[in-house]
Amino acid sequence: MNLRLLHRRLAVLMAMAGLVAFAGGAGVEPFSAVLSALGLTVALVWHPSRELSTRMERVWLPLATLLVARALLHVFVIRDDVVIPVVDRLLLLMAAEALRSLDAPNDIRLYALSFALLLAATAYRPGVLFLVAFVAYVGLATLGLMVGHLRRKAEVHGIREIPLGRSLLWTTGGLTGVILLVAMVVFVTFPRVSRGWAGRGETMATSIAGFSDEVSIGEHGSRIYGNPQIVLRVEFPDGLPEGVLGLHWRGRSYDRFDGIRWSRTPRIPPSSGSSQWYRERWGSSVLEQRVYAAPLDSRVLFAIHPVLDVESENGIQPLFDNVGDFLYWGSGAPAYTAWSRTENPPAEELRAVSDGYRPSARHFLQLPDLPPRIQTLADSLTGGHPTRYDKVVAVQQHLRSFQYTLELPATARQTSLEYFLFERRAGHCEYFSTAMVVLLRAAGIEARNVNGFLGGEWNEFGGYLAVTQNQAHSWVEVWFPEYGWLTFDPTPGGGTGGERVESWFWPGRIFFDGIQHRWNKWVLDYSIESQAGIFQRWFDMTNSQPVEQVSRVTERAVSSWWGPVLLLLVVAGGFWWARRHRRALPLESRMYLSLRESCERAGIPMAPGVTPLVLLTRIQEGCAAAVGPAERVIDLYLRARYGRRVLGESELREMSQALGAARKILRVKG
Amino acid sequence: MHELWRALRAWRRISFTTGGAVFTAGVLAVGFAAMNTGNNLLYLLLGAMLGFIAVSGWLSEQAIRALRVQRHVPRAVSVGQELRITYAVANHKERLPSLAVELIEGRLPGSAFLPHVKAGDVAHARSLNTFVRRGVYTLDTVTLSTSFPFGLFRKERDVSLPGEVVVWPRTDRSVRPPSLGGGRVPRTGSQARGAQGPRGEYRSLREYRAGDDPRDIHWRSSARLREPVLREYERDGAETRWIYLDLRTEAGDPAEVAVEVAAAVAAQAMAEGRSFGLVAGEATVDPGEGAGQLERVLDALARVDFTTNAPRPSPPVDPASCLLVSVDGMAGFGDAVVVGRTARFDEPVLNGDDGAVAA
Repeated sequence: MNLRLLHRRLAVLMAMAGLVAFAGGAGVEPFSAVLSALGLTVALVWHPSRELSTRMERVWLPLATLLVARALLHVFVIRDDVVIPVVDRLLLLMAAEALRSLDAPNDIRLYALSFALLLAATAYRPGVLFLVAFVAYVGLATLGLMVGHLRRKAEVHGIREIPLGRSLLWTTGGLTGVILLVAMVVFVTFPRVSRGWAGRGETMATSIAGFSDEVSIGEHGSRIYGNPQIVLRVEFPDGLPEGVLGLHWRGRSYDRFDGIRWSRTPRIPPSSGSSQWYRERWGSSVLEQRVYAAPLDSRVLFAIHPVLDVESENGIQPLFDNVGDFLYWGSGAPAYTAWSRTENPPAEELRAVSDGYRPSARHFLQLPDLPPRIQTLADSLTGGHPTRYDKVVAVQQHLRSFQYTLELPATARQTSLEYFLFERRAGHCEYFSTAMVVLLRAAGIEARNVNGFLGGEWNEFGGYLAVTQNQAHSWVEVWFPEYGWLTFDPTPGGGTGGERVESWFWPGRIFFDGIQHRWNKWVLDYSIESQAGIFQRWFDMTNSQPVEQVSRVTERAVSSWWGPVLLLLVVAGGFWWARRHRRALPLESRMYLSLRESCERAGIPMAPGVTPLVLLTRIQEGCAAAVGPAERVIDLYLRARYGRRVLGESELREMSQALGAARKILRVKG
Repeated sequence: MHELWRALRAWRRISFTTGGAVFTAGVLAVGFAAMNTGNNLLYLLLGAMLGFIAVSGWLSEQAIRALRVQRHVPRAVSVGQELRITYAVANHKERLPSLAVELIEGRLPGSAFLPHVKAGDVAHARSLNTFVRRGVYTLDTVTLSTSFPFGLFRKERDVSLPGEVVVWPRTDRSVRPPSLGGGRVPRTGSQARGAQGPRGEYRSLREYRAGDDPRDIHWRSSARLREPVLREYERDGAETRWIYLDLRTEAGDPAEVAVEVAAAVAAQAMAEGRSFGLVAGEATVDPGEGAGQLERVLDALARVDFTTNAPRPSPPVDPASCLLVSVDGMAGFGDAVVVGRTARFDEPVLNGDDGAVAA
């Protein structure tokens, strides 16, 4: 392959890498992406003459003008995102440049366009595909720029050909590694002076059932379908807590119920528990949770209740509202650390609760017009219990005797709470939480509906809890004076028996999600805090520490890295073995064996004991047309193998051509 | 300080190519955007771009280090002809090859290019240069230059390699045959003995060389020595053509034309098989003939300097037997080619203003 052709192909591959990088971030319009990818693919194998190239330019120009007009329309009339039409134009230009004659000195433009795509992709929050495309782009750019430079120099100095050996590929691989290493070092160490990047056009996850400012139990005639989209990834820096799959990731609370819908009363008076109670009166241990959340259209921070403190890990600003919900200000995917108590206070303490401060009865004892038998049920469930705690547990126990189902009621009439409590006695989590809150309020106990997520999938590879939309859940918080809001979950089995929609590649998804999580955590959301943490750890490891601590740190580092390192070693070992194995056979022997394989595929009988000359006879019998080139291959093979003659470059080339011709004939026969 | 700066410049010089300047501006822009927006992917791009710069610096250094250069320059070249300078470059690195290295002579426009020099190997390259003025061009350094691998930056290193190129004046300028009293100049002064020539008085015997006239073989001696031996004759001194170049004028086009006229006259004499000598200022080339004599004369002509303070002509022979080549002319010489002050260097044909010079 001559330098011009090689250079053009590399430039086209760079363009393809740019396209993939952009597609990995923002996605592209299928039409322009497919058209551009098609153009680039064609450019890899076909190169128009100079005349044809000039004629084709007459087509590109009006097309490009149309796309400019379209971009202007987007900006000034439709007022839509301008990036996509601009990128469409970039794609068109890229295809046009790639399909120019090889004589055209347009490589710089191809470099610039592909780099522009890469740059545009950074404006979004691309996934791991961006990383793959980025690494490919760096490798291709390294080789492409080198070959381009050699090409230009050769043309200036009138040198027709510069022999490029395989060593250039190895050199390129090494250089790419060095460039990526420098990129990594710069990335890690460059001081972050501004807050994180929100990411343009980031898609908000679709709201899930039970997750908005208005939650309804009125749906009917269908069932709730799950959604495997991951919304939370939670790490536990102090180690995996017990019962991690039963943790309630609290989101929002709702105080007002109109019989069908739950909503939040605006300007509600302060009604959160005192943080002092949570710190001092709750005796359970404190659990640190590092949460990486997908952006939802409700700006809620999820954590285990009660939250003692929240610290942002990226650009968001946590907010604490009147009812004790954690929200945030800022855009992008929130990353934060929360510290929470893990368990309710002991039952004995809760039974001993005396009267004390209670939140607004107007809001937390509010009830819609209810059928009298609901009040009767509440009284019958709670009447025999002297303490608030026992009343709550009684209601919870009663509801846990019901059946959990994702099947929605068949008719509108069956959606009522009364029908759920007395007729159907089955429903999804929102029915259970709604019923419990209503029964408690009817019994004079302040309660509210809360939603969020329950449990999750533990990702062994990533060492984090992946919470998907499947785990959306609703439960109850009950007020206990001097303790604040306590969590109770009336759903049978904690609602974990619900449907899970798992994609067919789910096992692989866990692995890839682990990679995606690391990408999000260490690249997209890398911040001055992460930077400080890395330097602190490095400082701690390099300075005098108790031996025990050092060994523990080392152990942890080893345990978290042995997997990738082992994988790398296996790949490197396999590669080395393959190379060595390949080198064990000289080229002429490999060509002879290739001829044997082709014969076998063409139906010529072959056995391990068939000698080269017998093979020739069989080719003569089975496919006479291939005898000529096959004879040349065998002749040269015998000279090299048994005549102990070192074949020259021209002979090897001749042998290769003869092999190609023989294989072509044999393929037709086969 | 100046010396230190020169030494540093000779050690390594780095400059931007156009692409490199654009790339560096891009790095600054991406860095600014990254710091301004906090977009981590821009930091990643910035890191990769800096990586390209780092690799570029390292590889370009590897390309030009540990190279030994030898230069082979022809003894002389005429104005308008191509001078081929050949370089033998040895790569003394143990493993790494040197790629895309240019060799540039400090004072010459042409450069040589080596696409590839394997580790421990020697590669050859040549540069072509054409000179438009005669003279002696001093070669002091060869610059090893590369913009490998990406063409972003040019790194250069000077290698001290003294030498010179002698550029002879052209000899193809049309001049009329001189008339020097029948073309004979009497033998006088220091020229006690005539120059070697094809005919004349017997001078000596010597071995036969290819191209000699077989009529001059001395058969008796050849038979005795069992190899062909040639008789050499002394040319008649009266046939020697003395060319006198008047240097008393300022340098410029007319002076260069005068030099070329003198060279053309010498070439003419050689073509006619005459003996010829040159007096130019203080330089004198004793009479001789043949290509070797022409080279000596051209060498002398390549080095002459014109100045109005040059000494008045005092040839070693009677001026009446000399051909004067001058810008302004002077009386007392046997013949004179006066170039005139309007002579143009780029016009191969003389149009003298006194009518003494003909095409």
